[in-house]
Amino acid sequence: MQHPPARRYRPPAPLGGRRRAQDGSMRRSAKAFGFLAPALIVLGLFVIWPMFSALRLSFTDASGFGEPEWVGLENYAEVFTDPDLLKAVTNTALYTVLFTPTAVLAALGLALLLNSPHLPFRGFFRTALFVPFVVSFAVAAFAWSYLIDPHVGLLNYWLRGMGIQLGNVLQDPQLAMPAVAFVAVWKLFGFYFVIFLAGLQDIPASLYEAARMDGAGPLSRLRHVTLPLLSNTMAFVLVFAMIAALQAFDQIYVMTGGGPYGSTQTLVMEIYESGFRKLELGFASALSYVLLIATLLLSLVQFAFFGRKEKDLA
Amino acid sequence: MTRTRILLSAGGAALALAATACGGGGDTGGPVELTFWHGYTEADGDVLEGIVDDFNESQDDVTITTEVKTWASIDDSLLTALSAGEGPDIVAMPAERLPVYADKGAFAELDDFYADESSNTADLVEGAASMVEVEGTKYGVPTGFVPLAVYYNTALFEAAGVTEFPQTWDEWVATAERLTVDEDGDGTPEQYGAVLPDHATVANGLWPSLFYGNGGNIVEDGKAVIDSPENAATLEYWRTAIVDGQISPTGVDGIGADELFSAGKAAMTVGGPWMASIAEENGIGYEIAAIPAGPEAQAASAIGVSMGITVDAGDEAQAAAEEFFAHFLNDENAAAWSLGSGWPPLRTDVPTEAVSANPVVVSLTEMSDLGRPLLPGVVNSVDVLAAVDELTQRAMAGEDVDALLAEAQAEIQAALDE
Repeated sequence: MQHPPARRYRPPAPLGGRRRAQDGSMRRSAKAFGFLAPALIVLGLFVIWPMFSALRLSFTDASGFGEPEWVGLENYAEVFTDPDLLKAVTNTALYTVLFTPTAVLAALGLALLLNSPHLPFRGFFRTALFVPFVVSFAVAAFAWSYLIDPHVGLLNYWLRGMGIQLGNVLQDPQLAMPAVAFVAVWKLFGFYFVIFLAGLQDIPASLYEAARMDGAGPLSRLRHVTLPLLSNTMAFVLVFAMIAALQAFDQIYVMTGGGPYGSTQTLVMEIYESGFRKLELGFASALSYVLLIATLLLSLVQFAFFGRKEKDLA
Repeated sequence: MTRTRILLSAGGAALALAATACGGGGDTGGPVELTFWHGYTEADGDVLEGIVDDFNESQDDVTITTEVKTWASIDDSLLTALSAGEGPDIVAMPAERLPVYADKGAFAELDDFYADESSNTADLVEGAASMVEVEGTKYGVPTGFVPLAVYYNTALFEAAGVTEFPQTWDEWVATAERLTVDEDGDGTPEQYGAVLPDHATVANGLWPSLFYGNGGNIVEDGKAVIDSPENAATLEYWRTAIVDGQISPTGVDGIGADELFSAGKAAMTVGGPWMASIAEENGIGYEIAAIPAGPEAQAASAIGVSMGITVDAGDEAQAAAEEFFAHFLNDENAAAWSLGSGWPPLRTDVPTEAVSANPVVVSLTEMSDLGRPLLPGVVNSVDVLAAVDELTQRAMAGEDVDALLAEAQAEIQAALDE
């Protein structure tokens, strides 16, 4: 099988002399900055500045009122000695383990299924699967709370009809975490699904053709063609899903408030509680930074892992 | 690029806390304009608006504008609003939430106001006044203080042939057993005698009330005292009644309790004055009774609401707000507010005749001696109440009471020591 000749992009030679070229590139960068400015200003005002602000807060005893006092690393020391925190870390880890693989596998599975050109109503299914992602997290959480309510919940009602007792899921310390993780899977997998779908469509059909001619069955095509070529997409989705998991908050706040007895108290719930309930903004900011750094490290490890795999492939 | 973006999205958690302080306040010239946040949304809200309007008309120096929010959203938005200098001058909030704000410097000290005779604070109900105090300093005035009470469904009582409301715990449990009906015998009653939530109870007060009944407590003089034989006995007693005797469903919270009562599925619930209007809306005939006496005492945790003057108010605004507080607590309004809100009068010198037009107020006023303030002066009530919730929930789930109490004791003491 012959590969099509690689087309290389060669910039056209500048028409005028050197000066004009320089002028042009300057004008081009000015133009580029002009286009970027709105985004950069928003990013600076609402992301970068608050981040630095929070960093500064994390070294103070700020409560939101009055002049905060500099306390050095005290907040950070407290983060690592707070007994509640170990529980929050364990809960967040459990949530991540429940959420990430489920959401990623569901998204991948459905993307593989809906990538098949033979499936009828493909467009409809693709849209339907993406819809939950458009719904706000709070709305989704309220809706699911009602659906699984033991007294008035439709889901409970239907399941009872089939002889299955769901019980009071959100009040059960064993089931509350899987329940809130499930709502996140339902809400977010549509996004990962679309990314996988885009990744799948980037894989040249010629490779499948070649594999088929070499006698590869559907499973080995998946293993030796699809998955390796999807590893970039996979890295992206995994990192995003993991970050989403580490930041779990919205639906937990709405559905369980961290309960029953702290079994769904995640790190961000803990940050919220410290900051907005106990008015310890300094401690909450320190905790946020610890979470930020942990997230960053985990993301880098994942990228390193997938980056290596990609290199192996090359 | 991708990594930077990841870094930035990971920073989302940090962003949530980006609010920084840049104080505000101070007015010049013209009448002083005050904003007042509160969460009174029912009939009580109308009465409060009336009192505010009346105050605005009574003089030309101060104009108060009210902003009605839910109690939860007041708590959620006050910090950010105040730190942005956009906060209200006066804010009402659940009384147990006031100390943490006061401790962080969000409220003006009112000791001088209290010392002034014209403030109308001399005869405030003691428990109510204790809820606005942190380390000996007053930071607000109470707007509500009412003991939790039992609201019961008269039709269900009649159907079961119960004529007398129980006076002691044993009678209470016996009555609840009579009112618990499991018609199809599947082991799950269709109607419960009572609904006693095991966590997030109304105003967090059910379990404190029960602890008091047996001579126990949660915090005394700044020390955790929850790990006591009295409290162990209380938990065992109610676990037997609720879990073995099935007088109440398990795993219910305060809101769930309201729902079960208003659906006619529970004959008794422990709640606040709003249960009266909820019962009426749902066509349920009800009576109000004091929480029956425990072996040692008859007592009930009180639901408190307090209002304070925020740091956003300057000196002039503070003086204006104090003027309003005195107006709110004057003879006429003390009675009008009680009548309209359905909460007992905040001043002990309001004569019974002044509120006799509202039967709910009359019943609640009769039992107001039983009301005890919840965790007065405790700054970190969040962690204390979380520990109590965990304790009661796990105790009702059958875990070892002594171990749970020891654990709660340690957690509460740590919260107090912070």
